[in-house]
Amino acid sequence: MLLKNTVLSLLFAVVAFSCSQEKKLPFLGPKTVNATGDTVYHQIPDFQFLNQDSVLVSQKDIEGKVYVADFFFTTCPTICPKMKTQMLRIYERYKERDEVRIISHSIDPDFDNTSVLHDYATRLQVKAPKWNLLTGDKAAIYKLGQKSYMVSAQEDPNEAGGFVHSGAFILVDKNRHVRGIYDGTVETEVNHLLEDMEVLLKE
Amino acid sequence: MKKLAPILIAFFFFSCSSKEEITQQQYSVEGMALYKTHCENCHQADGAGLRDLYPSIQQTKLSPEALACLFKNGKKGNGFMPANAKLQALDIAELVTYMREKWGGKKQIYPVDSVKMALQNCR
Repeated sequence: MLLKNTVLSLLFAVVAFSCSQEKKLPFLGPKTVNATGDTVYHQIPDFQFLNQDSVLVSQKDIEGKVYVADFFFTTCPTICPKMKTQMLRIYERYKERDEVRIISHSIDPDFDNTSVLHDYATRLQVKAPKWNLLTGDKAAIYKLGQKSYMVSAQEDPNEAGGFVHSGAFILVDKNRHVRGIYDGTVETEVNHLLEDMEVLLKE
Repeated sequence: MKKLAPILIAFFFFSCSSKEEITQQQYSVEGMALYKTHCENCHQADGAGLRDLYPSIQQTKLSPEALACLFKNGKKGNGFMPANAKLQALDIAELVTYMREKWGGKKQIYPVDSVKMALQNCR
């Protein structure tokens, strides 16, 4: 009887603690173990691209920031507009909070030069550095998308608009670790992202 | 028999107009589906567009003929809109019918023949 009570109260404690525990987000991507035996989480590598104001943007500009990344191109007739509608929600919500940033990589840098991106940003009524629209070396962009953000991004003449790319929003923490991937074309998915953003901001 | 005539006439009249109405509704329903597939991503479900990026189409001043050409050939340069060469005349007729019912308050079919003619005269 005593044992039963102990077990019961233990169980109760476990349940109570698990409930009160704050939500934690996983670290996504391949992990490695370094020489000292510590787990090293997948990290977005250094990068350098031009934004809509022709300013060079690199990892230094997002140091200590939580940010959302996506891949798009300005003449995209399919999912990009839906993604931009949803990204605007994030933009408007965190407009006044400097620790949140948005990075949209163009996957059609041949067409999307800085002046095209500038025009696009103006018409979307968004500004850098809160929302950076980036262009640059095509191979570097595709590699970053596929290897680092783990999303598909490449040319495909069979696809409407000429490119295949995922509609993913990638949530990255203050140390450049990928902590969540969401479908940026679906409102409810983006609701989850907004919840998870709060978790990361408290970390 | 004399009493029956007006009833018969009324019957024909109604069956005719309702047949037209049914076709109009069919066009409109198909047009709505096409709108969802080809237009809604940018111009939104309510046609309001997205800020200055995609224009609102609620108050468009474009004629049905101009719309037909725009859908098929797109628009180049400033205010770019992708062409959709795969759209058939019937698709365009249905789209225009849907759009002018929804935003123009005009319940009237835009006929396939008119689309074909308009497409021949695109500038």
